[in-house]
Amino acid sequence: MKRFAIGLYAAAVVALLAWGFYQAIYVAPTDAMQGDIFRIIFYHVPSASVAFLFFGISLAGSIGYLAWRRSRPDWAQSADAWALAGAEVGVVFCTVVLITGPIWGRRAWGIWWVWDARLTTTLVLWLIYVSYLLLRRFSAGPQVQTLAAVLGIFGALDVPIVYMSNRWWRTQHPAPVFGGDEGSGMDKSMLGPFMWNMLAWMAWGILILGIRYVVERRNQVKTAREAEKALIA
Amino acid sequence: MKKTLTTLLALASAALAAGAIYSMVSAPAEPSPDWRMHITNQQHALLIVPIDHAYRVSAYLITWAIQLGYVAWLAYRWKTQDK
Repeated sequence: MKRFAIGLYAAAVVALLAWGFYQAIYVAPTDAMQGDIFRIIFYHVPSASVAFLFFGISLAGSIGYLAWRRSRPDWAQSADAWALAGAEVGVVFCTVVLITGPIWGRRAWGIWWVWDARLTTTLVLWLIYVSYLLLRRFSAGPQVQTLAAVLGIFGALDVPIVYMSNRWWRTQHPAPVFGGDEGSGMDKSMLGPFMWNMLAWMAWGILILGIRYVVERRNQVKTAREAEKALIA
Repeated sequence: MKKTLTTLLALASAALAAGAIYSMVSAPAEPSPDWRMHITNQQHALLIVPIDHAYRVSAYLITWAIQLGYVAWLAYRWKTQDK
């Protein structure tokens, strides 16, 4: 039953992604100013939103791990798995943002990269979470999870800075489309395709986040069994 | 079965990444910065349509290359845990 539900969800996600692609290419009108290149927004912005959400999940997992690591070890391990899964899948989506953004920038601005506040803070965010993953991959010992949790909490502090960067500072990056100044927003004909893609990428992100969580939980069980065997031997 | 799926996902990811690079490299040359001296705005608009298209295709392909590459890596991790 559980497998059937997961398969059904995965099928729905694939259908949503296909529908989102159709909406982005065939339904959304071409932007009068930017032409076809504007359609990158349908992959770029949802990826950024999903990355922010998953870094938030990583933050919650890190706090949970620190809060429960002595009182409820099982909960703490689960929270740690969510923290790792959130950080890793967040990095995947953040990588998409950092690659699709410059592709758009090359056509819109004539340059691949500019050290403005939005781009720089996003790169710093990516670097913080890559360092989080490297810490977990290459360190050993009982303190790794605690150190990673602390890094995960401080790393998440960059998320609101990235989000607010083009509100607080003058940036070359476009002004906020949603929640910006008066006159910001998206034409209704583009809003539908945008929302479909937002939903599709969110659903896809949740699917791979869930898989990554299960992989990590299996890894925790395997590591615990190996440690137990070593103690008995 | 799992090994085949992992290999297929990794190959699809590599093919998409190659497609993304090809799409960008094979895009028509951009008009020179002083295009206003040689062609009209309308001619310029027509010239940049295939370039924008190639870059947009490249961005979409690279997105899927990254996503499928990550799923392939997850499948590989899952497979190695079974051993």
